[in-house]
Amino acid sequence: MRRKKLLSLMLCAAMAGTLLAGCGGGTAENTGSSAATQAGESKADAADKADDAETKDTEGSSAAEGGSGESVVTEPTELTFIFADGDEGAKSSMNEIVNRFNDAYPDITVRIEPGNGGAYSEFLKTKESVGEFPDVMEMRDTAVYYRAGMLEPLPDDLVSLFQTTTEFDNKTYTAPLSGENTNGIIYNKKYFDENGFTEPKTYDEFISLCQAIKDKGDMAPLVIGGQDIWHIGFWFHKAYNDQVLSQDADFIKHCYDGSKDFSDPSFKAVLEEMQEIFQYAQDGWVSTPDAQITTFLVSDMAAMMYSGTHMFSQIEAADPNFEIGWFAVPSPDGKLRLVGGGGAGGLAISADSAKDPNKKAAAEEFIRFFFAPENYVVYCDTLNFIPTTVAGIDSHAAPILQEVVEATRNADDLAPMWNVRVGENELPPDFRNFTYKTVVEVVQGQRDIDSACEELNKTWKVSMESFNPLAQ
Amino acid sequence: MTIKKKKFDMVTFGFIAPAFLLFTLFIIVPTLASVYYSFTSWDGLSPTVKFVGLANYREIATGARFRNALVNTFLLTFFISILENSMALGLALLVDNVRWWKNFFRSAFYIPVLISGIVSGFIWKIMYNFNFGAVNTILNSIGMGSARQDWLGNPKLALMMVGVVLVWKGAGYYMIIYLASLQSVSTDIIEAASIDGASPWQRFKHIILPLISGAFTINFTLSLINGLKVFDQISVMTDGGPGFTTETIVYLLYKVGFNEGRQGFGTAVGIVLLFIIIILNTIQQKFLKSREVQL
Repeated sequence: MRRKKLLSLMLCAAMAGTLLAGCGGGTAENTGSSAATQAGESKADAADKADDAETKDTEGSSAAEGGSGESVVTEPTELTFIFADGDEGAKSSMNEIVNRFNDAYPDITVRIEPGNGGAYSEFLKTKESVGEFPDVMEMRDTAVYYRAGMLEPLPDDLVSLFQTTTEFDNKTYTAPLSGENTNGIIYNKKYFDENGFTEPKTYDEFISLCQAIKDKGDMAPLVIGGQDIWHIGFWFHKAYNDQVLSQDADFIKHCYDGSKDFSDPSFKAVLEEMQEIFQYAQDGWVSTPDAQITTFLVSDMAAMMYSGTHMFSQIEAADPNFEIGWFAVPSPDGKLRLVGGGGAGGLAISADSAKDPNKKAAAEEFIRFFFAPENYVVYCDTLNFIPTTVAGIDSHAAPILQEVVEATRNADDLAPMWNVRVGENELPPDFRNFTYKTVVEVVQGQRDIDSACEELNKTWKVSMESFNPLAQ
Repeated sequence: MTIKKKKFDMVTFGFIAPAFLLFTLFIIVPTLASVYYSFTSWDGLSPTVKFVGLANYREIATGARFRNALVNTFLLTFFISILENSMALGLALLVDNVRWWKNFFRSAFYIPVLISGIVSGFIWKIMYNFNFGAVNTILNSIGMGSARQDWLGNPKLALMMVGVVLVWKGAGYYMIIYLASLQSVSTDIIEAASIDGASPWQRFKHIILPLISGAFTINFTLSLINGLKVFDQISVMTDGGPGFTTETIVYLLYKVGFNEGRQGFGTAVGIVLLFIIIILNTIQQKFLKSREVQL
């Protein structure tokens, strides 16, 4: 009997051990890395190698450029990498560069993990909360992660690769992937030519053009991908730029200090402008995803879309014979205000990952490799992005992109989107999405402008309690 | 009389210990910790956690967004509880009485249950699409083009359309429970009632329904809980929109917790949801248990 009891107890212990073994993965890994850390020699070697690599790159002879793949790590190292893969162009170009890197550096493996398409910021936060924060990532909410101490500062030689970067306490945490995506109207040139429509020179002419296409009745004047809330942001920023930023560039700061709020007449004018523009959207715009708007344009279901330069390649891929036209929509006051310049987002390295000298060296080397002209051109050309590096790229981009670059040069104002600004004008987390959803309610007639402003004020007050850059 | 003191049984403890430890570690401890976090303004990332007292619960009590989510949740739960169970009972009766292809029908009606919530959400989202979706295309092709709708973009329809998907996906599961219950009803009683001259409707109303009332209790409890915590389909199909028209409590919890960096508030919403489930379930159990018939 006693032997049976003993056997039962041993079985129980074995079961518990087996179950807990699954939970011990992290611990085992930690032990592994502690062991590596204790091996002082290897650590010193790795650090030396990393320093060597930095020096080498500063001298302009980086392994990345030559693709010689000289080792910067002391042992085989794997890096996890996540980026916003909602766009096909981003996915293909990132895969191409990562494959090139993995070929050039046999002892480093960059492993791409799915980035969950559209809801990227949420996805990254979820990954962090389940302990799967990647080693290298496309960072968008830089300020939030910087404040949480989760990002590793980039070395000076890396920072010097870029024309402009965004600093937090004199340190740079992101390598900007591209200049801010300049939005404008992308239109069906053939349709315009056939019907005698011309590019509008003023805001009123733009509205008249929309009305003329609507009256003609063969296609919708505008296609809007309202199901993806960030797409609403393109139009919102235009109206916000026209009505609010044109009068007060520090509107958000003034909302924080209480001198202004969202009942301000300039903000109400934003909602009115949105109502005016959205009456020209296609039927079913609320449930149309951004990924579908190209189909509308190339299938003669809509004449125009308002989006960034990344759409050029998508349209070309959907229909190589489609004639693309582009123009910027002026503000009602006649000035041209465009999205442009550098933002705070870009490639970043996890601070936690950088504690391992091999991972740190590998991650920095990957970023150097990514921005080497022969690699970076793949990303910029595929997505029609404006490069951010000093060295630039030998671009084969479409002439239409040159038109956009020209417009940014002649614009009266060039600024990043309202939701990516940092410092005293930084928005509380996700106030952006709340605003866009409220805008949709207004445009759909579920809510009037006054009640929308009131709701935004209430939410702003609550949001300010947890985030207020003026109080920090 | 002497009371014999029970000896501590190591074997029993040994069997319970693994499950007890894991349950405590992964359920009890996080639940208790979430009660603490619900009184803070923690953003989910920062190492600092600020205590804010009852501020989160005050916001829940006064905020329009929570009120809207609560109404949506109740509407959706009520809608799917009634429809899922009606449909499941109908299907179970059909499968129970059909003479041929019984297994085929049982499998066919159960297939949607096997599809994940995310996948079914995607399928229906494509079908509901205004311009390219199957629903509007069919309406158009049968000459009912004027009935075409922006099913997920129309704020008056969106919540109901999500409910339809939930009913379609859930009914097969409840059907199996009803079917098992129907098949356990003794044929003797049914035959006796037939001999006594009871019509099919009378047999169903006065004999079958009371005898399968246990299945009603189980199914209504499950559909209530599932309705209150629906997430997948809303995430995939509407993202809580248009505007906030399909935002439910669980979706609000996720949005504020993970998207808006307000884990403290999100946790408070979770605690409130827990109490809502407990209260509604208790009421429902009392009501349904009182109607059960034991033979």
